[in-house]
Amino acid sequence: MSEEIKGKILKHDTQTRTMHWIHLLAFIILGLTGIGFYWDIAGIANIFGGPANASLVHRWTGVIFTLGPTLYILLNFDRFSRFVDTISTFTRNDFAWLKTMGGYVPFIKAEHTPPQEKYNAGQKILGGLIIAGCLLIIITGFPMWLWRDMLSSAFLALCYNIHFWTAMIMILLVAGHFFLAAIHPKSRVEFASMMLDGYVDAQVTAHHNAKWFTQLQKIE
Amino acid sequence: MHIFAEKAGMTRRQFLKGSGLLAVTVIVSGIFAKIGIDAFAAGDNYIAQRAAGLYSLDEKMALRKSHENPEIIEIYREFLSPGEEKYLSAKAHHLLHTKYGKNIPAFIEELKAPGQNENSHEAA
Repeated sequence: MSEEIKGKILKHDTQTRTMHWIHLLAFIILGLTGIGFYWDIAGIANIFGGPANASLVHRWTGVIFTLGPTLYILLNFDRFSRFVDTISTFTRNDFAWLKTMGGYVPFIKAEHTPPQEKYNAGQKILGGLIIAGCLLIIITGFPMWLWRDMLSSAFLALCYNIHFWTAMIMILLVAGHFFLAAIHPKSRVEFASMMLDGYVDAQVTAHHNAKWFTQLQKIE
Repeated sequence: MHIFAEKAGMTRRQFLKGSGLLAVTVIVSGIFAKIGIDAFAAGDNYIAQRAAGLYSLDEKMALRKSHENPEIIEIYREFLSPGEEKYLSAKAHHLLHTKYGKNIPAFIEELKAPGQNENSHEAA
């Protein structure tokens, strides 16, 4: 893109950023308390006032973890639907992007990055995995809390295993997401768009999300 | 300096995908709940069958209460509490109650100790 584009793009509005913050904080608390239980790490449990309190915090943070996105979806169904449509649509450009990993991986050369939508192919895959992971964690978490006295031990063991392994994968995914969003010099330019004011530089978007950029409208 | 934003609203395709994902969520949750309910029912059924089996075995027994068993009565009258049926006698307490520990030879010596069985556990 030779022509310079001066301006800003509202990529994530206030409600999306609020939901992202709530989910992020809930995930950190859930991850910490969960790791504390699983490996019986007293130091982590003590941050939350001992094992019993850490257990309470884990459960009620799980409620926030569930209600946060649920409320967001109900109040912003159009945004949610656009998001689902974007992350579930894979075109030839997405597969071409995946072949070079968008140029983010040092040992894969990417001279030309195919035009991407609001989210690139990697973010689309992450979005799908996060949705699936959250669903698995939520539907296995509540039976372990609410119906543990009446469910069979075999079913509870299934819940524990799915809950634990999904959480481990999610922690790794979120760690990768954090690295690319906050540390990697090529992609951290978008950090503020989700964590602070919602805006991203138009020039950057015209390059990173060229396909999406052509669909935007000028509001000021 | 310009400000850009995406268009509000959604297309029919977007609506269908959003609703579709919610429907898939409900279906996956429902299938998982069904697995849980079936597992609970199977466990419940097993417990009911096991209880019925134990009751039916018990009903077939000639002797259904241990204190009415002639052999138990005899062992009390002739050995554990000679001349009477004293179920909590010192000797019965000493010989029949389980003790836990690693020093087995010491337990055996304790049982062999003279007078141990007759008096030492009256107060116990």
